[in-house]
Amino acid sequence: MCGIAAILYKTGESTSSQAVGLQLREMLYSMRHRGVDSTGVNIAGQHFGTDYVVRVVVSEDQGASHVIEGVRNAVAALGGSVVFIDDFGRFRRIGLNYSGDLGKLSDSILSVKGAEIHSIGRSSEVIKDVGDAYELDKKHHFSKVNGTHGLGHVRLATESQVDITHSHPFWAYPFPDITVVHNGQLTNYHKLKREFQQRGFRFQTHNDSEVIAVYIADKLSRRRKLGDALEESLDDLDGTFTYVVSTDSGIGMAKDRWSAKPFVILETDEMVGVASEEVALRRIFPDDVRRIEPQEHEVLTWNVSLAPRIKVRLN
Amino acid sequence: MTERLAGNVPKALSAPVSQGYSIDARKLTTRLLNASIKSGVSKGRYITILNPDARHNLAVGIVKRCSLSFAGSVGYYCCAFCDGISATIEGNSGWGLGDNLMSGSIVIREDAGASVGASMRGGQILVWGNAGARAGISMKGGTLVIAGNSGFLTGFMMQRGRIIVMGGVGDAAGDSMYEGIVYVGGEIGSLGVDAKTESATRSEEVELRAFLKALKFRDDILPRRFRKIVSAKRLYQYDSLEPLERERLVI
Repeated sequence: MCGIAAILYKTGESTSSQAVGLQLREMLYSMRHRGVDSTGVNIAGQHFGTDYVVRVVVSEDQGASHVIEGVRNAVAALGGSVVFIDDFGRFRRIGLNYSGDLGKLSDSILSVKGAEIHSIGRSSEVIKDVGDAYELDKKHHFSKVNGTHGLGHVRLATESQVDITHSHPFWAYPFPDITVVHNGQLTNYHKLKREFQQRGFRFQTHNDSEVIAVYIADKLSRRRKLGDALEESLDDLDGTFTYVVSTDSGIGMAKDRWSAKPFVILETDEMVGVASEEVALRRIFPDDVRRIEPQEHEVLTWNVSLAPRIKVRLN
Repeated sequence: MTERLAGNVPKALSAPVSQGYSIDARKLTTRLLNASIKSGVSKGRYITILNPDARHNLAVGIVKRCSLSFAGSVGYYCCAFCDGISATIEGNSGWGLGDNLMSGSIVIREDAGASVGASMRGGQILVWGNAGARAGISMKGGTLVIAGNSGFLTGFMMQRGRIIVMGGVGDAAGDSMYEGIVYVGGEIGSLGVDAKTESATRSEEVELRAFLKALKFRDDILPRRFRKIVSAKRLYQYDSLEPLERERLVI
């Protein structure tokens, strides 16, 4: 089944620091009946104070401090520097300054035995774990995280393993800030994945949804607009799907030609909320906001305001 | 569409709140809420359900004559497996509203999600807004009226009964229908497999208009004329012919 949700404030940077984390927690918790295998969010529009924030999971059998030391060295070897490391049990939130190629950085971190990347972003990070939204919040305190937009997922595993690695959102290696949540099953993902692998892309999981993230990111990197990339995916992806993509500047959704998976939208002048079910949106929107239900073969995008991003550096 | 029609919702079909009592859904689990609806229903009361918050499975399995009113949106399978109810929903619904309805009436003031009236066998469902995909899927009787537009695969695998769409229908309308009729006042996106259009006969038009008038639809918002989608019944018999062989056959 799975449930997806996303929220975006159109007011953008000028009034950033909306309670996106808190609202995602409430939305995802109200959809916990759609899957409790794992819960994950991506909160975008944050100000980190560093070039990037990397979310890393460390394997316990390698020894956490040993793995972190390895990551530190890997970053340093490429001329970058680690500014801070926040500790969330098996998870680390690493702020670093780095100006080189992100593919190299990702590969270098992934070459450290016992390290796995959940996301790399300039202004967003993926937080995901097993259990429901409140359990996730207890471990990662994401309800206190503010931003301009974000997306989330509750998972009922159908296509791959029940573990943290295979839970959503999926980050698109090696593109910063691009993440996907997906409700459905892709039937041609092996084929797509092989094509991407031949072109040098690296996949971290066996999950079908990771392919969507890479597919969209690849299009965006070739200067396609998000709306066009989503539009093309309707024909290139085979199976049932409703998915939402988050980039540094907005969100977009695509729905398959069979209209097989549910999706509703509530939109006001200031914000837009999308989710698998209205029950999630009524937690944050008043009763008089009209519901929109996209039909089959449909694509929609929303942008935070296009005001220039002001980079705040602490060091 | 809904805004235009909102003032026109028939009073007779909404539950007279003053004679009954209300239940606040927020204070109850779905199981307890359904139990309290049932116990109120067995005493013959009119019940208003406050704060339904688009929750699922509300008022399922009620087989008594009763009046219910939902003061907001409901989730999946609202009023499923019911017989004899008269329900009004003041907001939207999720998937499968009135699933397997045997008799009675359900009125929804805004939009219905996908599969409204799935497998319904009798009674009447009236949607004042738009309906999602697969409206009236596998319908086996009764009448489904949609005042706005209806989505993809309207009347999919319909077996009996009728669907009246005053607006347009989406693609693949009437796909794999066996029997039954889909009346369409507006545009037809495209026809589904084994579906064909016919124009409604004069007596059908007269009957349809009388029926819609009885539901308090104003004359000026009724479509000028209705087209109907029925089964072409070419799928009733299967054969093992190749497409080329079938083309050569004279039927």
